[in-house]
Amino acid sequence: MKNLHVDTLVIGGGIAGMQSALDLADQGYRVALVEKNPSIGGKMIGLSKVFPTLDCCSCITTPKMSAVAHHENIELLTYSEVEVVSRKKNGFTVQVLKKPLYVKEKDCTGCRSCEQVCPLDVPDNENEFSRTAHRVIYVPFTTAVPQKALIDIDYCLFCGKCVQTCPSNAIDFNQQSQQLEIETRTIILATGYKVTPYNAKKEYGAGKLLNVIDGLMMERLLAPTGPYGRVLRPSDGKQPASIAYVQCAGSRDQTLGVPYCSRVCCMYAIKQAMLLSGTLPMADISIYYMDIRAFGKGYEQFYQSAKAMGIEFIKGKVARITEDENHNPSVRVELIDDSSRVVERKHDIVVLSVGMLPGWNPESLIGVSTAEDGFVQIPNYNIAPTITAQYGIFATGTAIGPMDIVDSIMTASAAAAEVAAFIRSQNRNEMALI
Amino acid sequence: MAEESKKLEPTGASQAGSISEEPRIGVYICDCGGNISDTVRCDQVANALRKLPNVVVSRRYQFMCSDPGQKLIIDDIKENGINRVVVGACSIFLHEQTFRKTVQRAGLNPYLYCHIGLREQNSWVHHTYPIGATTKAIRMMSAGITKARLMKPLEDIHLEAHKHVLVIGGGVAGLRSALSLARSGLQVTLIEKSHFLGGHLAQWEQVFPTEEDARTLLNGLIEDARVQPNLRILTGAEMISAKGYVGNFTICVRQQPRGVAGNFELIDKAIAVCPVEVPDEFNFGMIKRKAIYRSYAGCYPASPVIDREHCTKCGECLKVDKKNSIHLDEPAIEIELKVGAVVIATGFRLYEPFQGEMGYGKLSGVITLPQLERLLSSGRSTENALKWNGHTVRSMAMIHCVGSRQIEGVHAPQPDGKVNDYCSRVCCTATLSTANRIRERFPDINIYDVYQDIRTYGRGHEDYYTKASKNLVTFLRYIGEEIPEVVQAEEGAEYSLIVRVKDHLTWGEEIELPVDLIVLSVGMMLSPVKDLVEMLKVAPGNDRFLLEVHPKLRPVETAVAGVVLAGTAQSPMNIQESCAAAEAAATKVVVLLNRGKVDLEPYIARVDPKRCKGAGECVRVCPQEDAVHLETFIDNGKTLQRAVITAANCNGCGVCVSACPNHAIDVQGWSLNDFNAMVEAITSEIPIPESTS
Amino acid sequence: MKLKNKEETRKQTHILGELRQQHGAQVKHAKELLKEQQTVRKTLQSVLQHEPQSVPQLAATTKIAAHVILWHIAAMKKYGVVEEAGMDENREYYLYRLAKEAKS
Repeated sequence: MKNLHVDTLVIGGGIAGMQSALDLADQGYRVALVEKNPSIGGKMIGLSKVFPTLDCCSCITTPKMSAVAHHENIELLTYSEVEVVSRKKNGFTVQVLKKPLYVKEKDCTGCRSCEQVCPLDVPDNENEFSRTAHRVIYVPFTTAVPQKALIDIDYCLFCGKCVQTCPSNAIDFNQQSQQLEIETRTIILATGYKVTPYNAKKEYGAGKLLNVIDGLMMERLLAPTGPYGRVLRPSDGKQPASIAYVQCAGSRDQTLGVPYCSRVCCMYAIKQAMLLSGTLPMADISIYYMDIRAFGKGYEQFYQSAKAMGIEFIKGKVARITEDENHNPSVRVELIDDSSRVVERKHDIVVLSVGMLPGWNPESLIGVSTAEDGFVQIPNYNIAPTITAQYGIFATGTAIGPMDIVDSIMTASAAAAEVAAFIRSQNRNEMALI
Repeated sequence: MAEESKKLEPTGASQAGSISEEPRIGVYICDCGGNISDTVRCDQVANALRKLPNVVVSRRYQFMCSDPGQKLIIDDIKENGINRVVVGACSIFLHEQTFRKTVQRAGLNPYLYCHIGLREQNSWVHHTYPIGATTKAIRMMSAGITKARLMKPLEDIHLEAHKHVLVIGGGVAGLRSALSLARSGLQVTLIEKSHFLGGHLAQWEQVFPTEEDARTLLNGLIEDARVQPNLRILTGAEMISAKGYVGNFTICVRQQPRGVAGNFELIDKAIAVCPVEVPDEFNFGMIKRKAIYRSYAGCYPASPVIDREHCTKCGECLKVDKKNSIHLDEPAIEIELKVGAVVIATGFRLYEPFQGEMGYGKLSGVITLPQLERLLSSGRSTENALKWNGHTVRSMAMIHCVGSRQIEGVHAPQPDGKVNDYCSRVCCTATLSTANRIRERFPDINIYDVYQDIRTYGRGHEDYYTKASKNLVTFLRYIGEEIPEVVQAEEGAEYSLIVRVKDHLTWGEEIELPVDLIVLSVGMMLSPVKDLVEMLKVAPGNDRFLLEVHPKLRPVETAVAGVVLAGTAQSPMNIQESCAAAEAAATKVVVLLNRGKVDLEPYIARVDPKRCKGAGECVRVCPQEDAVHLETFIDNGKTLQRAVITAANCNGCGVCVSACPNHAIDVQGWSLNDFNAMVEAITSEIPIPESTS
Repeated sequence: MKLKNKEETRKQTHILGELRQQHGAQVKHAKELLKEQQTVRKTLQSVLQHEPQSVPQLAATTKIAAHVILWHIAAMKKYGVVEEAGMDENREYYLYRLAKEAKS
């Protein structure tokens, strides 16, 4: 068993987790960052561009990923999950399970030769929503940190081609999962979000309509590293001429048990619409909405620009989506601003602007309570937004509620401030007892 | 992916970055995920540059700032003997530091790195002209390569930093930030312009989404601040001058004394006898206060204050003051502070509607939402009815977006000619929260909510909208230019005011709402801090709020190192967001000052003693304080003058270089020679080769 | 440089054989997937040998569902087996052809 002694354990390697880790590491604190996926970067690394500045997501995420990987005060544990958390005097003992990559990390150089010779393609669920494939042995994506290969062992033929090709002899089918024990003074929950399932509403096709996708899938289509390298519709690869967005498709919806607003969907839909009008100048883009929530700095101006660019904003909650025999989806909607007449409108792709659900429920494992909306409970929400009800445990980013990148970064630095203050006061108390 | 380079064997075994070695330049063009490569033909650029002298490798990569991208550079330094690096990428503000650290990790001096901005300065402004953009990119990179040939290794200037922070503003963000900073071990001085802490928070009754009592929340913060040992609070205090740079600011603060001390009983009598009455700003002008006053009962500091602007010095209060507690003529004091960083937490001011805007100021019964808040919490309305001007309110209209989401040409601009085109973020939830409270407290009051979009975006906010619906608030929706109209009803009408709305929830019907009271949900604007902003040299953005370096990556830092933003000085936000921002700002400052030293870039002026004749032009034109001065010295019996630089105060702007008649002064790391060479490079044609892909 | 001698190679082969036995059912399933994949890929590649085709054209020729073909095209494009070759005459669908290296 490998033992680590740190000041903070950050659970989650998305933008919030990385920012908290960096802020604390820069102050000299020892940080361990545990991420369940093979690479850090969270959801952000998979996005195309951010609103409203339209910076490319990779460009602003990868430097943080790199900084985390190379920081002398941060121990990075990827493909690892927290299994047991026990409270002890002055902190916690955490058992972490590092899953087997079946590749020796210290030997793998990320050259991807193994990937080239592996004979079997499997649908890439994790990164590309199955729109394209990855080989059974693969590096998650070009900018993955760490840049190491791993084997999807459930599909492995054990043909040995990768073993023959690997120049560093890094493949190890006997690799076992590793148990690590981390002693830490504090924990930061940065476990992020998952989207409301796009197949949840039967009125929207229950996920069976080929050309009805969700916002994250469209991000991948728009990203330069996406499955097709351009925006094509999934049923037949057609370049769409008409794209529709259905807002609040998974939020503000009592029938789904998600009555709250997911905060980012208006803006990401507008952003995607702007990007689409750039890459497909002839396409018609319509956004069917309830309210346009462009509330942040520069957001309203971004919204007005989108209108000026010809993106159609139509007030009306889409009631139903169907498709014809060629998988062309149609939306049925009441046009509130046009005598409330009910129409059926055909499009090439319909994007469901899905909302956010908490990525992880920490209740059973860590004893941190969640609120009615499922996100981490924050007792003193206004004044101390990152302190949970559990002593020594803090939370940040979308673990404490739907939020965009700016707010994730701010709450991450705020969590770092609270952790630093906590540790200092603990030290003072210890000194006082001596 | 990256293209191959011609491989030259590294020359000799010289230390990476030493002056005598031959430059071996690594050139990298970043696609920036399409942001650059969508317009600039990056492969052509890389190919064109490969042929230039001293260029050893010329690569193109999709994301240079990513780990694999950075690895390309590190590997080239280690394996191909690269000793100068030029990257063409996004803005210098975003990633110059990133790549400096990259080359440093590979063992190279960080100042042997040159960053060329091919995005903001090229692809983003020439996206309809790819050929021109590509040519320009080649020239820009060529200039960078030219510079790279001339670069020499430099060392940061290390200076002691004061582990002391100035927080400007005593509202919720200022207090939160100050507490965070003090708890981290830094010395903190908080200055608040008014004589009372709490800012706007003190003026509200209940805060969303927790429904906590605002005063209780505030008092908790104030109490924590009060007992925090290394936190000093000065009220009635304003910054009057600021000099210096990160780690070493010298700030002058002027503090107005309260003019009142001690015995509270007598003070209340003094207030009673004071003949001066002025509009009470705490209650948004709805009632009056005296020239000796407290902002509210339970305020902190609890001692009242003399309003020097309005005090006539009549002396009535002195007559009742038997213990000499009132001092009308106490002078202001000036305090000099030496701090390492400044937190701007100066907050917001509310939009003041124009006279006649929706009847405001002209018709009785048109008030703002903050005024309504004061009305509800003032205790005057503990009865069963809400009264305005002696009349019971039976029906009211609440109008959203007054002073926000304004349209040029439609709404009247502010004195600076601009309209407030931004959303003020908090007002939708605030309005609905108040609407619910009124419906619950006064069930007979009918409320019309006139809005554009309901922006209850935050955690727990949507509930207010749902609840308002259940509470039978009637919603009407107007669109942008069709601003609701407010008119006086006819003589003898049942309700004195009418709101006319073109309601798009009922297909554009023109609806008239007869009401007793109209509440305008006014937006936020930046507080009047023009002087402060100039003193600290921070920049406002288009929306007048203070500008951060990068809205996504660095949301609380300004372009001035050591000056950070906390709260609504930066942008409209609610209390929870202000506290998160305030703590984030504190973290940035702690990271900066923790080690007790700061590292400044080495781009400072250097005087060539052989050429300097003491002309003094540099001193005359230098915009910085104490960066350069003339010193007298004796040489061979002759008295001469020569310019001397104080490195710590010089920011390398180079104005002196242009003024010196003897070419005796230059900026280290950015010399005149460098610029001449770069201009030559930009004006030289480089053929664009065929694309390889 | 990988240093492998005959002894090591034999050992590896033995280990792989054992693993295939151990994970019998899963390997069988993976082999079936592989066979299916190779069949589809072979069909697609043989059609693309002659001239560039769009996804609907490939679907019409091979009778394989269009969305399935798109997945294969995307995977083959990712690993350099096919590349784009302009658009069809209606400018609605992209055409694909075998990548030059793959062809030779």
